[in-house]
Amino acid sequence: MYLKLADNLAKIVLRCFFISIFFIISPYTNATEKKNDWDIKADKVSGQTIFFHAWGGAKNINSFIKWASDEVKKRYNITVKHVKVTDTANVVARILSEKNVKKDNNGAVDLVWINGENFSVMKKNNMLLSENWIRDLPNSKYLDFENNLSLLNDFGVPTEGMEMPWGVSQLNFYYDSKYIKSPPRSASELKDYIIRNEGRFTFPQPPDFTGTSFLKQILIELINDKSLLRKKYVIHKHKKALIPLWKWLDQTTPYFWREGKNYPSNYLALTELVAEREIDIGMAFNIAHASNAISEGKLPNTVRSYIHKDGTLANVHFLAIPYNSGKKTAAKIFVNFLISPEAQLKKQDKTFWGDPSVISVAKLDKNWKNKFSMLPRGIATLSNEELTMKFEEPHPSWVKIIEEGWIEKYGSNN
Amino acid sequence: MLNDFYRLVSKASIIFIGIIITIPIFCGFLGFFLPSFNYLPILGKGELSLNYFYISMNIPGIYKSIILSIFTGLVSTFLALFFSQVILLYFFKTKFYNYIKIIISPLIALPHITMAIGLIFLLSPSGLLLRSVSPWLTGFDRPPITYIFPDEYGLFLILGLILKEIPFLILVSLSALREFSSTKFFDLGKSFQHSSFSTWFTLIFPIIYKKIRLVVFIIIAFSSSVVDMSLLLAPSTPSTLSVRILQIFQSSDVDSFFIASNLSLIQLLIIICLFIFWIILEKIIKLQYFYIFFIKITSIKSEFLKFVILCFGIGLFLLSFMGIICSMLWGFSQNWYFPNFFPNNLNIDSFLSFYDQNKSLIFISVFIPLMVSLLSTSLTIIWVELLDYLNIKKTQFEWIIFIPLFIPQISFLIGIQSFIIFFNYNSFLISLIFVQLFYVIPYSFIILAPAIRAVKFDYIKVASSLGKNRIERLFKIKIPLVLPSLLTSFAIGMIVSFSLYVPVYFIGVGRVTTLTVEALNLALSGSKQDLGIATFFQILFPILLLLTIALINKKTIKWKF
Repeated sequence: MYLKLADNLAKIVLRCFFISIFFIISPYTNATEKKNDWDIKADKVSGQTIFFHAWGGAKNINSFIKWASDEVKKRYNITVKHVKVTDTANVVARILSEKNVKKDNNGAVDLVWINGENFSVMKKNNMLLSENWIRDLPNSKYLDFENNLSLLNDFGVPTEGMEMPWGVSQLNFYYDSKYIKSPPRSASELKDYIIRNEGRFTFPQPPDFTGTSFLKQILIELINDKSLLRKKYVIHKHKKALIPLWKWLDQTTPYFWREGKNYPSNYLALTELVAEREIDIGMAFNIAHASNAISEGKLPNTVRSYIHKDGTLANVHFLAIPYNSGKKTAAKIFVNFLISPEAQLKKQDKTFWGDPSVISVAKLDKNWKNKFSMLPRGIATLSNEELTMKFEEPHPSWVKIIEEGWIEKYGSNN
Repeated sequence: MLNDFYRLVSKASIIFIGIIITIPIFCGFLGFFLPSFNYLPILGKGELSLNYFYISMNIPGIYKSIILSIFTGLVSTFLALFFSQVILLYFFKTKFYNYIKIIISPLIALPHITMAIGLIFLLSPSGLLLRSVSPWLTGFDRPPITYIFPDEYGLFLILGLILKEIPFLILVSLSALREFSSTKFFDLGKSFQHSSFSTWFTLIFPIIYKKIRLVVFIIIAFSSSVVDMSLLLAPSTPSTLSVRILQIFQSSDVDSFFIASNLSLIQLLIIICLFIFWIILEKIIKLQYFYIFFIKITSIKSEFLKFVILCFGIGLFLLSFMGIICSMLWGFSQNWYFPNFFPNNLNIDSFLSFYDQNKSLIFISVFIPLMVSLLSTSLTIIWVELLDYLNIKKTQFEWIIFIPLFIPQISFLIGIQSFIIFFNYNSFLISLIFVQLFYVIPYSFIILAPAIRAVKFDYIKVASSLGKNRIERLFKIKIPLVLPSLLTSFAIGMIVSFSLYVPVYFIGVGRVTTLTVEALNLALSGSKQDLGIATFFQILFPILLLLTIALINKKTIKWKF
């Protein structure tokens, strides 16, 4: 009886041994792969699973990602698992801690939706697949890298091909036209509006992305010399530059929703507050956000969007592959699909996501051109002409300063 | 020969179980303790220093966060204890007494955050309570500008916490009451012309308290470091210490891990201070002249005061039930804007689409608790059996398994997650199940172990005289005898695991998520509809579980000894 037991045990141990050998070897087999045709590459990674870490708070975005995952599963037999992130900084922190303990392959993240400060941290700490991979993808031919410099610069930091542009966004505001005739269209008008309508304005609490962006927007509008913002923040040179922002906030914060003692956690919580009419003005980075919310029944259909007279912050969002992903090729195949005309069309479609396409329509054939021009716009979405006034993102070094300054002055005093 | 071999194997397995249970506890502790003194060789930090204490103490508003944590922890524990006793005392010896357990069971079974979500739906300026009086009474056609919710002092966090802790304290007090002749004590006090209030607090409560003291300390530790409820109910500028730790941990600096670890240690120290404070409080209350003073106060027969306290206690119950119903209603509603009391249209479309998109989430949210609870009940049984087999009578060292309940969850998890990354272990599900075990085993153990140990030796003797071996005796005698406790411990295990937030957040890292984590995300991103649906499932699951257990209990316990 014991013999039999021992025999079985030995078998199990042997099996475990072989399996572990297999797992030890398998990452290296990928690495030895040479640059081949795209399809051969795709064949090789058939059956793999990649983990796509992307902000997961919005239903429409989640269902778009679900659709794209189903498509690559069908076409390439690659399984994409959408890891729903609440703040992309967490993903950066996770990869950083993996790098710290020298977990250099098979990391938890295979692909991350990213831009701005998080990208600059990852780039600075060499946490990204560092080769210039984006031009290798066949579908990158639809992107106009030559004429559209924002595709290669993320908040003024050169991407050096470490992240693939995925979409464009611009800060926009919305209000219920049933109750408000003309919304405030500049930082100073907004200040007056806030003071006149006590308790009816707020923004997502920094370090939330939209909240911080709103602070940047106000700073850009108020600062005398906008060119300062393109430079790296240096404390002794630039501390004064922030004074107009703090002054603006000092004057307005007491008149905020709940006297500025509480803030909603992100732009979707803000949407709920506008819907309930707890506050008057909402904001989002997706230009189709208000329209989407209307069609989902989350905002009344009298809501309309607007931007400030001088313009609002605009930026590109990207997809990047961490240096320690074990499935870089599969991730690239998924990225390639996400920038295909088909996926970009779906993404721009307001019934799916409504996020403007990143590919240049001029580079498409007639068939696709037509499809893009046929796309309907939501009732609360601004036209391209209305969105021409754009602000460049400040250098990422300003983000942390603004966030920390805000938290110190307004976020921790109650 | 064979017997020796068995003994060896059982000794080895005892040591093995002991190691897999205790080592991670110490790892989790060291994982935040050492970094808070700047010690983590793998990051090139090998010099002990107090540097991070200095940095932590200079974080803007950190003192406010600390005070908020202390305040909410202490006040909520005190109030929960008070109201649990008041409610018990007024229903003691009435017809309702036997139904209390049935009423509170579903409340205990609900995750903490479900309760918090219910409160938000009910009490926020656009919540159901204001809708019910608007605009006909208040004249509000839009939500009023109020600063009440969430308030700056953490009062709503306290409210949320006591709504969860009162039923729990009532449950443990009920079982404590069964262990001594409480009715006789009560009658005795009354016969000395004391009011029922002072009888309860001078005669009965001290006995109950002795039996539930451990639970009270667990509640202090829990409520002064709770993360999920704080995220929803506490003020945000600044929030409680536990939320600050989470925020700092999430930011992408190298230093942030050390600062978070350091704050975790501070959080632990705060809890230790609270324990000491509470113990001093116990000492003061035990003093004789305090008793006399207490009797003097409570003998004032103010019927009105009694009535107010009772109403308040019952109001709390109503609040939890209304909140739950309200959040379920949101799951089926569309276009439900202020000040409509009832949604414009009700449909199950969004319900179905949520279900469709989240099938695997729902499955995993049930699967994990099932596995965790199965493992923890079997481990408990194996443990008790092995000790019995080896005739080990001294079991004082078993208190070690309760440690995770006293260390703040966030501190423990920050500590243990760095070990998991360090060991380069890639299965998130298995790690998560393993880590959850530490939070479930104490409950399984405290319910199941005494029950098994209390099985009368006579039965075992009869069985062995009939030639039944140890395994047969376990499955045919002991387990059927303790089946009710076994089922309870299994159900409680599942419920505890189901409602855990912090472990899933830290160990699952988004790859494995559960309804509890998802519901919190939904609550923070304000999607009330989906939140309502997620809450619906969170309510559905524990209640189905309780019903199943009750049913099995009824079916199988035909033959009672």
